[in-house]
Amino acid sequence: MRDFIQLFLRCVEFFFILYMVGYASFLFLSVTVGSSTLYAAKRRNALKNELSNDYYVPVSVIVPAYNEEVTIEATIRSLLALDYRLYEIIVVDDGSSDRTSETVQHAFGMRRIDRPIQQRIACQPQEAVYETRSWKVPITLVRKKNGGKADALNMGINVSGYPYFLCIDADSVLQRDSLDKIVRPVLESDNVIAVGGSVRPCNGAEIEQGTVIRYRMPNNLIACMQVLEYDRSFLASRILFDQFNGNIIISGAFGLFQKNLVIDAGGYDHNTMGEDMELVVKLHVFCREHGIPYRIRYVTDAICWTQVPERLRDLCKQRRRWHIGLFQSMMKHRNILGNPKYGAVSFISYFYFLIYELYSPYIEVFGIFATLLAFAVGLINVPFMILFFGIYVVYSAVLSLSAFFARVHTVDLKLHITDMLKAIGLCIVEVSCLRFILAWVRITALIGYRQKKDEWGKIERQKIEFK
Amino acid sequence: MGTEILLYFYGLVCLSMLAFNIVYSLYLRLGDRKLDQRVSFFSRAVSDQLQHIRAGQPVETRHLASLNRRLSRVSNLLAYDRALEALPRQDAAVESYLHQIEPTILYLATKYRRRENTQAAFFCYFLAQNRILRQMPMDEIQRILVTFTSRDSLYCRVNALKALCAFGSAETIVDTLLYCDRQSSFLHAKVLVETLLSFTGNHAELIRLVWERFDRFSNGTKRALLDYIRFNSGAYCEQMLGLMLDPKTDKELRLAAIRYFGRYYYLPAKQPLLEFVSSPDELNWEYAAISATALSNYTGEDVDAALVRAIHSSNWYVRYNAAISLESHGMTYEEMLAAVGPGDRYAREMLAYRLESRRQQEETLLV
Repeated sequence: MRDFIQLFLRCVEFFFILYMVGYASFLFLSVTVGSSTLYAAKRRNALKNELSNDYYVPVSVIVPAYNEEVTIEATIRSLLALDYRLYEIIVVDDGSSDRTSETVQHAFGMRRIDRPIQQRIACQPQEAVYETRSWKVPITLVRKKNGGKADALNMGINVSGYPYFLCIDADSVLQRDSLDKIVRPVLESDNVIAVGGSVRPCNGAEIEQGTVIRYRMPNNLIACMQVLEYDRSFLASRILFDQFNGNIIISGAFGLFQKNLVIDAGGYDHNTMGEDMELVVKLHVFCREHGIPYRIRYVTDAICWTQVPERLRDLCKQRRRWHIGLFQSMMKHRNILGNPKYGAVSFISYFYFLIYELYSPYIEVFGIFATLLAFAVGLINVPFMILFFGIYVVYSAVLSLSAFFARVHTVDLKLHITDMLKAIGLCIVEVSCLRFILAWVRITALIGYRQKKDEWGKIERQKIEFK
Repeated sequence: MGTEILLYFYGLVCLSMLAFNIVYSLYLRLGDRKLDQRVSFFSRAVSDQLQHIRAGQPVETRHLASLNRRLSRVSNLLAYDRALEALPRQDAAVESYLHQIEPTILYLATKYRRRENTQAAFFCYFLAQNRILRQMPMDEIQRILVTFTSRDSLYCRVNALKALCAFGSAETIVDTLLYCDRQSSFLHAKVLVETLLSFTGNHAELIRLVWERFDRFSNGTKRALLDYIRFNSGAYCEQMLGLMLDPKTDKELRLAAIRYFGRYYYLPAKQPLLEFVSSPDELNWEYAAISATALSNYTGEDVDAALVRAIHSSNWYVRYNAAISLESHGMTYEEMLAAVGPGDRYAREMLAYRLESRRQQEETLLV
């Protein structure tokens, strides 16, 4: 029996060495490529390698909202402050049970109008349409029967009048130059069909007229750790995937899409909780199947500030939802795996998300149980284990900090010394504690998810102070 | 043992990353300070030369030699650009100074010709920004800039074209666009149009040369050129009509020609527009949709009748555009309803929406 356990633990050890080397290399590569891309972009901008004229690509900004009476007004005001001329704002109230519609109508003086809507993508019918032209750009509010976020976005696409649409979350605020920046890739190449922007936690930031006037690390520790996590996991890895057109996620909080192509591909999927990821994977599939040359881009300097959960319970809810979305999208498009037709999307992006995102919580928990078993049968080298864990924590923490400081340096944010100390201290807590809590949440995420597939993920909102 | 080596290797990576973060942070702080010092240095140097010029003396050769030496480094060129940015452009001494440093600019052009894209793009930006060599005939520097337009950096291509537009030579611009087409250098139509609109020379001459060599451009460039002409002048109706009526012409170009007649009234175009809007060809609905918009610029019973018929179209965009054009002709809701008749609910809804929308707009204007 002992021999069998010894053999089993040998195999586990071999697997984990491979697994950790793979992950550590990926992390190193993504942070190095991410940081150098950010520094190169800073240099390019300093040397005026940018499109500085006003090249306006018409964009419909779609804001799906469900029970967002607290934040919706600030979000629309931030959209009205954008440094851009040719756009419209479309708010889709997905049958809110609070006063979301009334808040918008009242704040912006909207009036009901009988507007015919061309149903190019199937969605729940509208109950009322309101419009106003009293502001810098037209604002449309559509109140519809509840159908989920994907359904609300599809309604927004049907209402939109421009060839590109941008979806943003109702609890987010766009930086004033963000629309200008996110359309740039469209001007750089004819093949760009979608562009993801950079989503950053706004907790702790003071934003005035779409510009950050003061930036501090959030006081709340949960939010603070997410700031570091966003820089390491999202910013760095998306920049890396962007190098080979391999991004399979554009955050639902901030993404630009070519409307006609999205319509041809069938729009957002009602049956998926992670409709944002599903759409991007679907666009990869659609373009490759139809031989359409395409490029899905990620831009680091188009910034959307979003509220991240400040309570552990809300964070767990959010991550549970993300994990279900990931599972559904990956299962729906499982044909991609190992399919040479999809090139790097299959062999790098899909494989990475499968092993290091979807299966990682199970693998990590399995690792913990294997360690306990080895400990129980006396087959563990405790000093080595401590060294291993120590290096793991320091390595992940240093890479988090590298990504964090690369971002801070390249956008000229001035950090207070206490913020730096906070970042250094909390990045260790994040990789050694929060990561394992979230791994457990992701393990249990798939239990009973089918009953909740059309629900909007709700977390407690705080009013965004938009001056 | 192997695993331990691996662990120590990753520990070493950690230390390297930490060292990199600290060193780079210091470098950035020092870099900003150094740039400020360089800007002050060049500001003082240029200010001295302006005093010379105001005293009736030429720019010192010592200054030119110093510029030749220093501006070969892009960080110095950046500081020099910032120093020039602060100068008043209407000042005769500044104009004279910029004229007298032309030999230096020519020297720098040969240097930056061999530089990587980012630096080359900044050199082009510097030229465009400071309008150096404006209105000069085709010379060595323009030849160098033309080669920049085929580089694989979009910013380099755009900045080079902007610099050429700042020079104001129509002949060079047309040659450059043909060169870009031959090299398959991509420039988005919007970028191309905006850049051409910034041309400082004679636009009529540029458009004349464009028409002369129109057949030699790619369809993408032709489309952008037609848009540029539309934003610039209404004097080319005859040529546009020829394009619009030629069935062999690319669809996008014919649509661009239709848009031209939506902006500029031209009686001979009216009948073809009426035919487009009444065309039953559902596969090419774009002709009808854009003609419906263009007809807002034309009046007459025949126009209104064609637009009313278009409101019954099975295509949403044709209906929508026809409704907007009818509305711009001042037709009342009752008149339109009477014209549309009771049978077509979609047409009625579209009209009602457009009229309500206009009412809201008018009320907004009154407020």
